[in-house]
Order: sequence, then C-alpha cells, then structure tokens
Amino acid sequence: MRAVGLVANPASGKDIRRLTGKASVFDNREKLAIVRRAVVGAIAAGAQHFIYMNDSHGIVRQALAEIDVPRGIKFEALPGPESSSAMDTVAAAEQMAQRDCAVVLVLGGDGTNRAFVRGWRDSTLISLSTGTNNVFPVMAEATVAGMALGLVARGQIKMAAVAGQGKIIDTEIEDEEPDIALIDAVLTTEVFIGARALMTPEALREAFLCRAEPAAVGITSLGGLIKPVSDRDEFGLHVTFSSAGKRLYAPMSPGTFESIGVGQSKRIKLGRTLRSQGPGVLAFDGERERVVGLGQKIVMQMSRTGPKVINLSRCLHKAATQKLFVRSN
Amino acid sequence: MAKKISTKVLTDLHLNMVRIRRFEEEAGKLMEDGKIPGALHLYVGQEAVASGVMAHLNNQDQITSTHRGHGHVIAKGGQFSPMFAELYGKATGYCKGKGGSMHISNMALGILGANGIVGGGPPIAMGAAFSNKFRKSKQVSVTFFGDGASNEGSFHEAANMAALYQLPCVFVCENNGFGEYTAQSNHQAVTDVADRAAGYGMPGVVVDGMDVMAVYEAAEAAVKRARSGAGPTLLECKTYRYYDHVGVRGMGLTYRTDEEVEAWKQRDAIESFEALLVKQGVMTQKKLDNVYARVDADIQEGIAFAESSPFPTEDDLLEDVYFVGAKS
Repeated sequence: MRAVGLVANPASGKDIRRLTGKASVFDNREKLAIVRRAVVGAIAAGAQHFIYMNDSHGIVRQALAEIDVPRGIKFEALPGPESSSAMDTVAAAEQMAQRDCAVVLVLGGDGTNRAFVRGWRDSTLISLSTGTNNVFPVMAEATVAGMALGLVARGQIKMAAVAGQGKIIDTEIEDEEPDIALIDAVLTTEVFIGARALMTPEALREAFLCRAEPAAVGITSLGGLIKPVSDRDEFGLHVTFSSAGKRLYAPMSPGTFESIGVGQSKRIKLGRTLRSQGPGVLAFDGERERVVGLGQKIVMQMSRTGPKVINLSRCLHKAATQKLFVRSN
Repeated sequence: MAKKISTKVLTDLHLNMVRIRRFEEEAGKLMEDGKIPGALHLYVGQEAVASGVMAHLNNQDQITSTHRGHGHVIAKGGQFSPMFAELYGKATGYCKGKGGSMHISNMALGILGANGIVGGGPPIAMGAAFSNKFRKSKQVSVTFFGDGASNEGSFHEAANMAALYQLPCVFVCENNGFGEYTAQSNHQAVTDVADRAAGYGMPGVVVDGMDVMAVYEAAEAAVKRARSGAGPTLLECKTYRYYDHVGVRGMGLTYRTDEEVEAWKQRDAIESFEALLVKQGVMTQKKLDNVYARVDADIQEGIAFAESSPFPTEDDLLEDVYFVGAKS
C-alpha cells in the first residue's frame, strides 16, 4: 500500500493580517489537533504508512505522540528541518515524490500549497485551510479529510471520479529561477517583500488569475467580483489596475475592504503567454515573493498541469456507495 | 499601511542597522581588550528588530529594553559618545558611568531603561502605557524582551493588564531561539510566543526578524493600533544573535553549532537589505561605503570621547540614587 504524506506549516495563519485585518490566528496546538484527527480518520479508513515533514515546530511529531496507534501502522519522519522556511516544505514535497506517496495532506494557506507544488507538481493533495487567504485549501473537518486520505492510499476509490487537476501559472523571470502560482500572480509597484501580504491597493499593476472567486478574499476576489473564473474553466483572467479606472470595493484580506481602481479585465485561454517587466515586486497567491529589477523581463503562462486535488465530498460519497465503511460485525 | 515608503525611510533604516552593527562590533573588541569593564550582551544579528520598530516612534514614545539593550538605545536616538562613555564607566555617560551596559536610560529620548532583570521591562512599559492613556497623551510605549522573558510572571501580568485596559503598548518579543544558553524548545512548550497573545485577548503576529521591512510593516500596524486607542499587540520577531550570550565568542560552550550560526548569517538583515537597496536603485555601492565610513568616524570619535572623559568621583557615589522630588 502506498504511503500518506503529511505536511503542516508551522508559520501559516500568523502574519501581519492579524493586525491589518481581522484574520484568524491559527496557533500550532490547533494544527496539531487537526493532524491528530486526520491521522485517526486515515487509519480508520485503512491507511497503514505515513511519511511526514519533520517541521521546525514538531507539529506532526507531537500529534503522533498523542495518538494510540494500532499495531502495524508505520510513521516515518523525513530528514530536516533544514531552513525553518518554505524551503522545508519544498524539500519535503520532493522527497514525498521520490517515495511515491499516494496522497498528501497539506495544512496551510495558499502559500503553503504553492511551496509544496514547487517541490512536487504532479502530486495528489487534500489541503485543509490553516492560513489566511485560503482559496486552494478547503475548510473541512480533519477526521473526514483523514478518511479520504485512507481511502485513496488503499486504492479503493477511482481517482478519475474524485480528483481534478488544477490550473497553474508558470512564471519565468529573466536571469533568475522560475516560479509558480496556484491561484494568482500579481505584479506590484512595491519595492520590497517585507511582511509579504498584499495590503496596498495603489501598488497593484496587473494580475493573472487561475481562479477569480467572488466568494473568497484576496486578489482572487478582485477578479471574481468583475468576471468570475472557476477552477473548472479552461481559461484564466487578466486584470490591469488603474487609478483612473472604475472603483471596485472588495475584500483584499479577511476583514479589510479597499477601494481599488480597475482598468481592463480579459479572459485568457490556457497556454497563451503574457509578458511584462520590472521594476516591481511579484506576488504569488497573495504574498509578495520576488523583487524584479528595472527592465527585468517576466513571462507568464497558465496551463492545466497543476496538482490533482481530491474532492472530499465526492470521495466520501463514493465510499458510501461502495459501502467501504460498512463491516459485518 | 504605508502607501509609499520614501527613500529617506529606507536609507535611515539601513543607517540605523549599520550604526548598531558597527557599535557592537567595536564594543565587543574593546571588552575583549579589557578596555571596557564587565560583561557586554551584544546585539549583533538582531539589528532589524530595533531599527524596524523604532522607525515608528518619536522621542515622546517610551521603550523599555533588556540586558541586550545597546541596539534599542541607538535606534531610539542614542549617541555614540555618551554610550561608549557609559560602557567605560565614565562620568560623561548617559547614566554618569553608574549604569553601565545593562542600564542605559535617557528620559529625553523616551528610554525608560535597559534592564538586567530578565522580564523586568514589560511591567514598566505597561505602567508607562497606563499613564499615557490616563493622561490622553497619545504616547506609545514599547517593551522589548526575549523568548526567555516570555516565561516570567512579570510578562504575563503586564500583558494581561495591558489587554484588560486596552493600553497603548506594544510587546516586542525578540525570539533569538535561546534564553541565555537554553534553546527555546527546552524552556517552553509553545514554539511561537505570539500564540500566547490570544490568551490575554490581544492580537499576536509572527514576523521575520531578519527582514527589516517585515518588521517595519508589522510595527507600523502595531504602533498605529496602540496610538489609535485600539490596544496592545504582541509582535514576535524571529531573529538570531551571532555572538554568544555574553561577549563575542564566549566560553566554548556547545549549546549551538557553528553551522547553525552560519546558516543564520546567510540571511543577514543588513546584507540582504543592502542587496535590495542596490537592486532597486535606492543606493549604490559607493553610497553604502560612505555610510560605513561615516559611522566608523562617529565610532572613533565616541571612543576617543569616552577614553578622555573622567571617571565619576567618590563624591558622586551617593548622587542620583534616590529621587528626592522635582525641583520647582
């Protein structure tokens, strides 16, 4: 049986948006409890082998220490942590790919999932939200997510029926390492990365969105309140921002509404290339990530080559149809 | 939040960090050479925290500092000459040579004192904040403390009362991973001190303390919140001291590895900020060199001032011990 991967980001849900907005705090004891419930659910559904990121705060390690583990269940910690940064998640993803994990539980926000996908693009994920702007991960009960992990690891559910491959934005930055975004890539007029969160509407230049969700917060909602684009659509959305344009009133982060000047918005077919250049700062999935120098070229392209995401509801309905949790005494 | 950060703000942040770094490097050498008496707890590595926070304070705002307090004093406006004089124990020092490294204070700059007692600062800052609110003065008080101090009762009591009365106070935890020589994982069960904030009823935020702009932005929000009357904030800045708990390279203790120190130095706050300033065209290498030359000249002037200053006399021994009432 293939292993289940476990990744919990100790840094998610703690940034400046607790101050500038009204974002929830995800303390690490809560993340520990989520892991515990997920592992219990996964074992109940038949998972036997877990490989986990040895995060710098010991979230998974401590969670496992508090579970009565039945005989025959194997837990393996990956080496690390090396950097106490997002690179730990990237490294864990690379190792989970080598170990061919059937499915990985990721606890974090959009940024955590982006880091994981940087390390393993073709992964199969169940992502639970413990972040701030959470478009990619879902809010769901961890016990149920765990049940789905176990079902997938045992191979009892046909993947085609419950998993969909997501869109992704590949970004080439002249003379530097490329990067990716799972939800949105934004070019800003900022000059530094700082506290990472995008908080200044006047600094927005243009955004390229895989998903423009009106029922979410962050950059995705700016697009979503103009021209919604779902994960299922075979196109993305390109939005330019302009102080001379119409004003959009939208939640840039939890509990924070801003008036934003919007220029043009246009649907962009998958595979089409967008070009731009610095100076500025590129933000991916809601966080400032890369400083781009004056004249430095940027090329972006969206494709449906992202990770596969398990639909929890569909997965558990399949299990019910197949009576996988019904046992004869 | 800041809509547009000026070049002056950026260059001032850099200048402050360089002033702290070079002061501490020279102070460490002078201590090792036996010219400065006693022990110094040096701030090298943590410069981004003091610089990023203090950028939002004025001279009327107050701070309390720690045993590792030189950086806070410099960032709050402290000058090299009276600082070196204080370290030398000279009468021209900020505390007339009687306070030394761990007790520098200056009311004109709003420095309520460095403090040799771990966790001694938070109740003082909270008391100042209570006064500020009572007097409706719009002043903000900021207390700096470490991960070790966050275990002390004094911190818990101050945080509780600050939240209860919604005081204009910012709690800045400089988590450098060690309480003296004890790793954080060996002295507290939580890994983020900021997680404790919810227990008092105030927001807690984790900040990359090796990134001066991250500290700057978070501190801006916290100080603004305090000044507007919305109450206290706990900012936890993850940082690292390059030198030992005391002195430069201490007693050969094995509480951390050279590899760990080197890994943190790879993220050095000053070097990374300089790279950013050059890339964004804010500074050139020549301008950066000029900053160091100017700071080094100030340091030499400060050392010369301290070395040529007199020691306090025996007659001064009992002066400034007790406050005997304001002069009319």
